[in-house]
Amino acid sequence: MKKIIALVLTLVMVLSFAACGNDEPVNDGNTGNNETLTAENIKVGFVHVSDPSDMGYTYNHDLGTKKMMENLGLSEDQVINKYNIGEDEGCATAINELIEAGCDIIFATSFGHGDYMTEAAAEHPEIQFCHATGSQAAGSGLSNYHNYFTSIYEARYLAGVAAGLKLNEMIANGTITEDEAVIGYVAAFYFEEVISGFSAFYLGARSVCPSATMITLKADSWSDPVKEGQIAQSLIDQGAVLISQHSDNPSPATTAEAAGLFHCGYNSDMAEAAPKASIISARADWSIYLTYAVECVLNGEEIATDWCKGFADGANFTSPLNEAVAAPGTQEILDEVAQGIIDGTVHVFAGPWTGYYIWDGSVFECAEGEWVDESKDRSSPYFGYIIDGITLLDA
Amino acid sequence: MTYENVKKEPLVRIAKRPELPKKKAILVRISSIFVALLLGGLLILALGYNPALVYADIIKGSILSSTALKSTIKIAVPLLGAALAIAPAFKMKFWNCGAEGQITIGAIVATYFALFQVDNLPSPVLFIVAFAAAAIAGGLWGLIPAFFKARWGSNETLFTLMLNYIAIGFVKYLRVGPWMDKGQMFPKIPMFDKAARLPEVFGIHIGWIIVLALVIFIYIYMTRTKHGYEIAVVGESVSTARYSGMNVKKIIMRTMFLSGAIAGIVGWMMVCGTNYTLSDTTANGYGFTAIVVAWLSKLNPFTMVAISAFLAVLQKGSNTIQTNFGIPASASEVLTGLILLCMLGSEFFINYRFVFRKKTVGGDK
Repeated sequence: MKKIIALVLTLVMVLSFAACGNDEPVNDGNTGNNETLTAENIKVGFVHVSDPSDMGYTYNHDLGTKKMMENLGLSEDQVINKYNIGEDEGCATAINELIEAGCDIIFATSFGHGDYMTEAAAEHPEIQFCHATGSQAAGSGLSNYHNYFTSIYEARYLAGVAAGLKLNEMIANGTITEDEAVIGYVAAFYFEEVISGFSAFYLGARSVCPSATMITLKADSWSDPVKEGQIAQSLIDQGAVLISQHSDNPSPATTAEAAGLFHCGYNSDMAEAAPKASIISARADWSIYLTYAVECVLNGEEIATDWCKGFADGANFTSPLNEAVAAPGTQEILDEVAQGIIDGTVHVFAGPWTGYYIWDGSVFECAEGEWVDESKDRSSPYFGYIIDGITLLDA
Repeated sequence: MTYENVKKEPLVRIAKRPELPKKKAILVRISSIFVALLLGGLLILALGYNPALVYADIIKGSILSSTALKSTIKIAVPLLGAALAIAPAFKMKFWNCGAEGQITIGAIVATYFALFQVDNLPSPVLFIVAFAAAAIAGGLWGLIPAFFKARWGSNETLFTLMLNYIAIGFVKYLRVGPWMDKGQMFPKIPMFDKAARLPEVFGIHIGWIIVLALVIFIYIYMTRTKHGYEIAVVGESVSTARYSGMNVKKIIMRTMFLSGAIAGIVGWMMVCGTNYTLSDTTANGYGFTAIVVAWLSKLNPFTMVAISAFLAVLQKGSNTIQTNFGIPASASEVLTGLILLCMLGSEFFINYRFVFRKKTVGGDK
């Protein structure tokens, strides 16, 4: 009996391997080939890593979609959102379903969607693929594959300045000593996008509060409300008096509030979740890019392979300062710094600072008067230095 | 009957009921699904949507388009595989809650071959070697708790459960460490080369054929072989097995190796057929959901096919309603949970009944 079973199993395996190469031609119901695209018939697809109930990243990206629809006069049934699509096989399925539904342009919002976007773009040259935060478009050599991001580091820097002023206030009124000006940062992962963000935030804080230091812990996830909160608590337990974050949920804000401490947010205006703690939030306005990209498709124009805009174009901004929490006089200083960034007189990653490169530990020195030009060569951030003063507790 | 005795009787008692006729049992199961749909409908109403539309969308989004159907089958295949994996162990009353980890270990080993031997081996050889290695690795991972159970009587539920976290922790280490995608500088493991991806038959990786073969294999193994008989005896009574001269330790270890090996094969098809990479979520909870499948199907491999297909429809469908109605993920999980609860609950009503206190008791009037 056993022998027969073994034989059957072996046969099945061999047969199934022999059956490879059964690639059926893909029949996508795409309308784009036959008729001219107009604002009335274009279909736009989105692959989101979470859903708008995160009140953070996806919520904010969704706001951009709504604004884009308004700008271009698209109706609800022209936009298909795929929510809670992980950075795995589910992403390939979601993209295929969007193609099947006839989408002419597909956006994916999370870094880990990149591999699946690259493969889909190669298979479907008639459809435009736009991947936020990603870095593969330029290298892929595909004309229908694009990356986009905003110079969010500018808004982060500004939020950092507000944080530094708050630390100064705490030092001045004796709540903490100079050495206790510790910022805790909830990081999703340690790689360029996140490092660029927390370095900008830290440099902003240090520009006004020279004794400020920063500790970070990573969540190993873009969106994990419980873990993000726990990490914030752990940072607080290790001495952080102000929390900021690169993760999708406002739980670090509410954790800081519960501890009677302060917070700077990301994506959405987190003062809504933590009115007593959240000072200011760095935000992106995705509608600028979304409108641009969809318009390009409508006009039959090429979409830029890499797109990254910042303050000057309104692609990123800070939420209204929470005056109830911020140190007095913060707004004036923020206005000044923001103007400086737009004018080009303030550089976010300006020296003097020393640090090491995250991937090989090599030491890097940025002298006074020099700076690292972030996001000039490609949209996805590439600042990967850990500046002295920042400690990765779990690297 | 004295007065005191009557007073002591509670309002409701739960009593074991004599075995229900088959027809009646089926009726209870079907009505439980209706109750589930009703309760789920109330939930959907409370969220402000039309239950009929949402239910229709679950069906539409899981089986009514070719992409959706393929993706549903891709969920059902590993789920069925994992259920088949734990079936022999459960029959033996060895509570293998470690299929998740055994899948993961199989996936890790398969990933090693897919990433690092792809240039050295032609594809068919690579698949077979990775398949065998994943099965052996999963089997050995399953053997660890079996050895401890057989040798020292350790608690296998906890042991297998804890081994899951070790396996997944190991993936994390590989992901941020030695196997990180150097090309992207992001803590993820690279995608497999095309040559390391399983071929497809009817648009779905060949894992489905293997799993269907396993259905037949497990059925025969459990019902028509000496091994299967021994497993059943050990499950009913270890003492009986020992008294009749069976080597219980050997049976426990052998069965858990088989259980882990099948889980390892599931891991192999997850990475080589579905995800084309390894991640912390490769096992995707299938090892746990498989327990539900195994129970609902009463360890019958053929019933498992239907149950895992049903659960796959629910899982895929709940993704769809998130997209089309904007129902949050957590709410659609509650919906799935409600349906499962009702289905499992029906088993309770098939085996037990409520006995209410009678209004009038003889002798009092």
